[in-house]
Parts: sequence; C-alpha cells; structure tokens
Amino acid sequence: MIFKELEELGILGINNRVGRYILRHNKREYYPLVDDKVLTAKRAAAWGIAMPENYLVIENYGSLKNLHLKINDYDSFVIKPANGSQGNGIIVIKEIVREYVEGKPERILFRRSNDKLMDIEEVKHHISGILSGLYSLSGQSDTAIIQAKIDKHPIFDNYSFGGIPDIRVIVFEGYPVMSMVRLPTKSSDGRANLHQGAIGAGLNLSNGWVNNAVIRNQVIETHPDTGHQILGLKLPFWTEILELAARCYDMVGLGYLGADIVLTPDQGPILLELNARPGLAIQIANLAGLVPRLEKIRKDAPKDLLSSQRVEFSMKHF
Amino acid sequence: MRKLIIFITALLILTPLGMLVYKSQVLDLSLIPQMVDDVWNVHMSMKPKGDLTAFSFPIPKSGPGIKVSDEKVRSKDFLVFMDANSDSKLATWSSKEFIKRRVSFSARIDLKPLMYKNIPKDFTESYPKGLEVYLEVPKLLPEDVAAIELLEGAILEGTEDKTSLVRKIYYYVEEEIQRNTAIKTIHETLNSGKGSPLIKAKLFNIMARRKGVPSRIVVMVRMPDSKQQKEKTKLRFTFANEVFLSNRWVPIDTNRGYFAERPDNFMVVHRNYEEVEKIISKKAVSYSIQAERARINRYNKAEFKKAVLKTDSIFSRFSLYRLPLPLQTMFTTILLIPVGTLVLCLARNIIGIPTFGMFTPILLTLFFKETSFGFGLLFFMVVVLIGIGQRYVLDKFYLLAVPRMSIILTFVIMLMIVYSLTAADLTSISQKHLAFFPIVIVTTNIERLSIMLTEEGLLNTLKTLVGTLVIAILGFSLYSIPELEMFMFTNPELLFTIVGLLILIGKYKGYRLSEFIRFRDLVRQKKKLAGESK
Repeated sequence: MIFKELEELGILGINNRVGRYILRHNKREYYPLVDDKVLTAKRAAAWGIAMPENYLVIENYGSLKNLHLKINDYDSFVIKPANGSQGNGIIVIKEIVREYVEGKPERILFRRSNDKLMDIEEVKHHISGILSGLYSLSGQSDTAIIQAKIDKHPIFDNYSFGGIPDIRVIVFEGYPVMSMVRLPTKSSDGRANLHQGAIGAGLNLSNGWVNNAVIRNQVIETHPDTGHQILGLKLPFWTEILELAARCYDMVGLGYLGADIVLTPDQGPILLELNARPGLAIQIANLAGLVPRLEKIRKDAPKDLLSSQRVEFSMKHF
Repeated sequence: MRKLIIFITALLILTPLGMLVYKSQVLDLSLIPQMVDDVWNVHMSMKPKGDLTAFSFPIPKSGPGIKVSDEKVRSKDFLVFMDANSDSKLATWSSKEFIKRRVSFSARIDLKPLMYKNIPKDFTESYPKGLEVYLEVPKLLPEDVAAIELLEGAILEGTEDKTSLVRKIYYYVEEEIQRNTAIKTIHETLNSGKGSPLIKAKLFNIMARRKGVPSRIVVMVRMPDSKQQKEKTKLRFTFANEVFLSNRWVPIDTNRGYFAERPDNFMVVHRNYEEVEKIISKKAVSYSIQAERARINRYNKAEFKKAVLKTDSIFSRFSLYRLPLPLQTMFTTILLIPVGTLVLCLARNIIGIPTFGMFTPILLTLFFKETSFGFGLLFFMVVVLIGIGQRYVLDKFYLLAVPRMSIILTFVIMLMIVYSLTAADLTSISQKHLAFFPIVIVTTNIERLSIMLTEEGLLNTLKTLVGTLVIAILGFSLYSIPELEMFMFTNPELLFTIVGLLILIGKYKGYRLSEFIRFRDLVRQKKKLAGESK
C-alpha cells in the first residue's frame, strides 16, 4: 500500500480531517463565529481576548462615499473581507501620504506593504469588490473591515520580509496540538501565506523553539531574504500564545480549530483570526503528523480543564 | 449508527441490482433494447440525354430483404408518377418543357441479408401467366445456340429437377466464365470463356430459361464501404439473377458467388433488367447514386417499450419509455449526470484532482456533449481568456463585482452570436436550443479563476484548470458509450446504486492519491533524520 508510510507517520489527510475531525467536532452553527471576522471580534471583546482594533466596518456601498474623511485619523490600516479565507482580499496600508495644497488636502495616496501606491479610488474599488463577495468563502455579499495595522515584533526583524509573521496553533478540543510560525518572504510578496512561498516554521509545542522550517515542501535552514538561521529562533510569550489559542476553543466552541496569533511589540500575543478548516501544511512545517496527537487528546486528555491546565497538558506531551 | 449506514448503503446498492436480475430472469426483459440495423440514406439523381418532356427511371421498391421508407422525389417543376408492379417500381417525371435539370430520388433503405437454405427439388411443369415473360429465351445466333446446346450436353446431362439444374448452371457460369468487363456479347463470351457481370447474368438467364426455369436479371447497387462513404463514391449499377424455384424468387449471383443468398450490402433497384435496359443505358441517361449509413434510432426503443408494457409489472409503470420522445431524449442525457458525479467524486476525493467550483466539470461535460468536444474545448478556452483578460481591462473602470460578472456573461453571449453568424456548419448546435446554457453557468466561475491567478499564482491556477478539464473529459467519455446511456435510461433504479456508492466515497477517510505526492518530501525528510540518528 503506497500510503503505508503516511499512515506510519500519522499524517492527517483531507478526507480524514473533514470526516473524522471537522464534521464530528465542529458544529455548523458555530461556523459564523469564526468565518465572520466582525462576529469574532465582538465575541473576543466579550471574552477579553485581544484582537486588532476594527476602525471601521463597511457594510454597504453608500458608506464608501466619505471614506477619505472616515480614515482621516489613521496613518496605517489593513483592509480585509469579514468572510475571507487564506488571506485573500487583504490589503495592508502601511502609510497614508497626504498631499496638501495651500493647507487643504488635495490628494491621498496609500502605500501598501509591498510599497505600491494606491489612490482613494483604487481603495474604494477594492472595498466594493469585498462587499460584492469577491473574496468571501461562499461568494455571497460580504462586509469589509478596516482594521488597525499590527506592527512587527522586533524578534522577527531578521526573520521576516515585508509583512507580519503569524503563529498558527491547531487546537483540538481546547488543547493546542501543533503550531507553526509563518514568516513572509520576498517571493510570498510579504504575505504570511504558505501557498505563495512564505516560510512555514514548525514550533516545538513545549518551548516555542523553531525545530524545522520549509518553503513550500523544501526544508530550509536560513531565511532566503535575510540569510538568518531560522532553526533556533525562540518565540517569546510562548505559554501566553498557547493559552490564547486554547481559550479560543472556550470562546467559539469549535473542537477542531486553527487560531492565528500575532505578536505585537506592545500588547504581546493577540488573536488575528480563527479558522474552522485549518490546512494540513502545518504537518510539513513540523515534519510530524497530526493524527497521533489528535488521538492522544481523544483518548487521554481529561475533560473540563481550564485553558491553562490544557496548555500544561499539551506542553508536557507534545 | 455505523451499522445503520452500512445497512442503508448495502440496501441502496444491492436493491437495484436485484431488480436487474429480476427483470432479466423473471420478466425476461433484456437490460438494454436490441440494436436496430443501420439503415441507408440513398440519393439518386438522373438527367436524360436528348430532348425529352417525360423520363422514367427505376427506383427501389420494398420486397424481400429491402424496406424502403421516406421516399422523396423532387417534383417542384415536374409531374411525377409512380408505376409499380409487384416487383419493381418506375418513377416518371414529366414536364411541359424539355427536361434539362437533374431529377432526384432519395429514400431511407433498410437492407437485410437474404438466404434460402435447402431448397427442395423442383419439378414444376407449368407456371402462372405472369411468369411466362420470364421464360422467353432471347433470340440468339444459330452458332451460339449450338454452343449452348453443346454446353448443356456436357454439364446438365441427366439432371431432372430444376433446383439441381439451376445449381449446375450457376456453378458453370460462376466458375468457368472469367470476369472481363470488355467482353459484352454472348457470342464473344461463348468463344472466349470471359464476360462482363452483365453478360454473365445474361448467360445464366438464357441457360435457365432454356431449361424452363423462370429467370430474370436484377439491377442492383453494391453499397459503399466506410471509406467509399467518406469519399462519397458514386455507385454504379451491377447485375445478378433471380430464379423462380419452389414458388419464390431465389437470388443468384454468378459474379460474386452467391447461391440462394444476397448479402445486405446489395440494394435491388429493379427486378427485371429487360424492362429497363433502354432506360438505364448510358446513351439514355446520366445518373449518380450515393449511399450513406445513417445511424438513427440505433436502439429499437419502440419494440422494447412494448415488451416492458407487456410485463405489466411495477417496472412498466415507472418505465421512462412511457414518456414522450423529447423527454426521453432529455433523460437519456441527464441520467448520465449522476454517473458523472461518481467520476467527479472519485477524482476529487480519492485522487485529489483540484477543480473550479464543485460542478463546473459536469457543466463542461454537458457543454461538450451538446456541441462537440473540439468546439466545446475551444469555446471554453476563449471564455477562460475573456475571464482573465477582463481583469486587465475592466479593473481600470472600478466596477462593482456583480455588474462586472454580468458584463463578462454578456460578452460570452455576444461571442455565441458572432460564432453562430459566422460558422459555416451550424448543424452541431442549431437543434439544441440549450446547448450554450452550461457555458453560461461556467462563466460565473471564471471570475474566481482570475482571482486565483492573482492570489495563488499561475501554477496552481493551471493545475486547477487542467484538473477541471480532465474530469470534464472523463465525464464526456461516458457519453461515448451508447450502451451506458441506454443502460441507465432503461434501468433508472440504478440511481439508488449510485447514491449508495456516493455514500461509500463520502465515508472514505483514507488519503487522497495527491497527498502521497504532497507529503512525499515530509516522508523523505523523516527517513533522512531517522537514518542520521542511527
């Protein structure tokens, strides 16, 4: 059987993920809580889970009219679809260039994270694309969020090109089971998206050390753009990161969950978004299969523990 | 729960199979209707030589081994009347002016092989009046008569019954007279032992009649083989005989060696050459005959319907054969869609081929089916290009997504109009009013393609595009198996089996074949690490 090796390593395949874990442990009714980032933010606020501030939630085309006035107070922001997936439709504006003629604002330009400039019409166009459902999971009309841009934590200065790295934690029945940090590269256009060539660096769950790193499927040791050794990078706030992820289970009630967490320079770890169908590439980043860990939780993990106790269990066993 | 699922699945899969067994064993129905023999579309066109206001030509008539239907005689400028006796038929075109244009006849002809085994000995002495004409021996030169008498003495001596006589004459003419199209008189043939097909038929005719066996020369056409059909080869008249033995006309062909047999690639046009000799001679007429196999109505649905209704079982009540024909045609196509989804599910969930949208491949399959594969593929590619290209053009206009999609859709429809107006051959699409509907739906997925292109790069997009096409082609190939179409149409209860199989695929939790490739590097790395640590 050609799949024998995959089985021995405990690799989780798509069919198994959907059939045995997602369908059984994720109740459909809770999906909107993670699929709609506006709902996630509301729920998170109630639970005291830190997320980036939503400056504006745009629900209809009418509110695009005075967009330039509404964003007057901000110097940077991120535009994202409330129901997007895989980072699609997200635009990061790292600087707003306002040109004044005789003291009056004449023209506003937006500098994206990849240094391309957009004018207000292009921004509005992008937002209206989001509203009409271009990037939403179901293709139905959507809401656009204008969100505070997160700054990069200094620890990533040598490990990231362009955008902000994010930390993905797979949480099963409230227990963190596997984690990786996604480091943007030049070829991923500064995005933390593995499809586009970002680095996936597997993290040792017990201490937050990077124990392996891949680009697409290739194992690497140094960051291709900065040349820095990736193995040996240790994430700060590790326990806090895992606890944040574990609490997300209590918050949305999904048994099989991917929590995307970013490290801010000032607030520590905050939740960026949740995912009810987290991908399987994390196994390649960790050079490890998910199945043994998931089964360990299913068989041995006690129920009704506090999030901190669950994190303790995970750090001990994985 | 698990047991319940297994039970339901087994029930779904096995019940229809049981029904099939019941239908074939107990009700004695075949599982698909019998094939109907292919028929021929025959087209003849003639023009008389010389100034004539009326002109006749033999046309095929139904009889043993031949069934003529859908006769069409072009008659706009002519008065046409038919003159038929029990064996043959003449069409006569007449006009007030000289006939200067070609006249034509076309019909659908169903040919069946004829074969008479064990013809009994025939000692008939006298024949009805109508047959006397077939006993008249044509006038011959005295020396030819002498030569024939000599022959008869040599080969027929002592033979009494007419069946045996005919057989001996047949063997002689068939084997001893070599085919030579240059030799065109009885006299030459008797001297040289060679003769054209017509002369061989004439010689046989004379010898049979001299022995009191009613005999005639039939005018026929050998149907073209598939290569000739492709090349639209013009067919010529050729000749054989029929003799009246034990009360029926028995075919004899001394040229191609058939005794009491006529294969189904010969179409008889007239059964008495002597009557039409002048009419069909090269001096009188220029004619052209073409024939093509028509594969219409390959299955004898009508007969099958009767058989189903006769069983008076639950199957006859729920048979799709009860539906009016257009609906039947529709369901023949539609019933393969679930089979297609089976292919789709296998490809996606077991193999792991990526596709655009869930049912785009199926819609493409239908599009291919309704138009043609080559055209469908081309059209799809053009739609894809429009979908990608519009982003570069329409992006500058800052249009909202829905109107933008609608514009692409409108473009695609314009494209169809342009195609329809310029295409030379519309037969492939004109009769199928919904042919383009699937592509219209597919178009709505094209926007996702262009997003994918920007978000996930060219390689992933191409993979998905190719995956979609591969599944569409697999689905399309199902339609090239007419038996499968017929099988599903005849036994629609198999849909339950498909549902059962879909449940099985739905419960499959193993790896996809594509994951073998996806995690290949992981396995390799893991092995390497294991090797190092040892």
